[in-house]
Amino acid sequence: MAVEETIVEDTTATLKQRLFTVDEYHRMGEVGILDEDDRVELINGVIVEMSPLGGPHIRCVAHINRLLSDFTTPTTILSIQSSIRLDNASEPEPDVVLLRYDRQTFGNDVPPAEDVLLLIEVSDSTLSVDRKVKVPMYAQSGIPETWIVDVVHKRIEVYSQPNEGRYDNVRVYERGETIESPTVTGFSATVNEIVD
Amino acid sequence: MAVEETVAETTTAKQRLFTVDEYHRMIETAILHEDDRVELINGIIVEMPAVGSRHAACLKRLINLLPYLKPQDVIIDAQNPVQLDERSEPQPDVALLRHRADFYAGSHPRPEDILLVIEISDTSLATDRADKIPLYARSGFAEAWIVDISHRRVEVYSKPVEGRFTSIRAYEQNETVESPTLDWLKVAVISIVE
Repeated sequence: MAVEETIVEDTTATLKQRLFTVDEYHRMGEVGILDEDDRVELINGVIVEMSPLGGPHIRCVAHINRLLSDFTTPTTILSIQSSIRLDNASEPEPDVVLLRYDRQTFGNDVPPAEDVLLLIEVSDSTLSVDRKVKVPMYAQSGIPETWIVDVVHKRIEVYSQPNEGRYDNVRVYERGETIESPTVTGFSATVNEIVD
Repeated sequence: MAVEETVAETTTAKQRLFTVDEYHRMIETAILHEDDRVELINGIIVEMPAVGSRHAACLKRLINLLPYLKPQDVIIDAQNPVQLDERSEPQPDVALLRHRADFYAGSHPRPEDILLVIEISDTSLATDRADKIPLYARSGFAEAWIVDISHRRVEVYSKPVEGRFTSIRAYEQNETVESPTLDWLKVAVISIVE
């Protein structure tokens, strides 16, 4: 099911695809080539369509939203299904990100990877792509902690300690277990609170 | 050889594909610029491989030879866009076009304007066979050639039926290609590729 992997790797082996920069991607939005109806993100220079969200996905994101909202401080903010800029070739829209917040500067531009404290992707049909394409991309960008919530199997993968395109520390939590964030001090949640 | 299908399927599933109109807008708004050697294939913007000197020589031979053979009402075109459908605008190495008074200033040639396309392949042989030839067959081209520089051969595809060419013939270096659809076109392989 490595659909996106195929796009990013195999397709370019046969047809060498013209990849786009973040600036070009934004220009497409400005001149109306991409419009509001386009649910897309830029992943390694490829403009990728996002899957429609099912009920369990929406429910899960809403629960995480509630949990993390309670946890935000004056210097952090929660961003839901909004873009972050990783580098010149990637501007994904993760389901949930906990960001550093400064009222003066926040949102002057698309928040950069350096401002991300915790990133959460909720996966149903996209699990393989999330693991094989997105997690390494987030590690490469130095995002300190990434969670993949596997809605189908009701478990949560917690990745931390990014090191040259991979996370050195990976832990999988099953139902009934409690996650203590390895990097966001004091943040903990049970698997059941997030996916039930 | 389902590479072309793989591209179409995996990418319609996930990748945002572009129409010819969107592709043209990218050129107008300088998102794509002159330095971009690209073509639109099945909704994907693809970079064309750098042209090596053997490829360039083969093209030079063709565009110097064809004028002596062609009738008045045929236009010879080299490395320019042809618009095939909503999602494909490739740039074949050579295209033989029906004569049009404006030399296609008003719009790029469409499939019905095209008598023959020729792709010159060295490193791109697999891609040309897997991606370009099925695309040309689907567009209903009467005839397409691949000049295979490495093996000094010319492959001639004709009789498109339901998106496939049903007649394929390969000519070796000591043979003469006889176009199955253009009676004036007979070319010794050795005069195109040394």
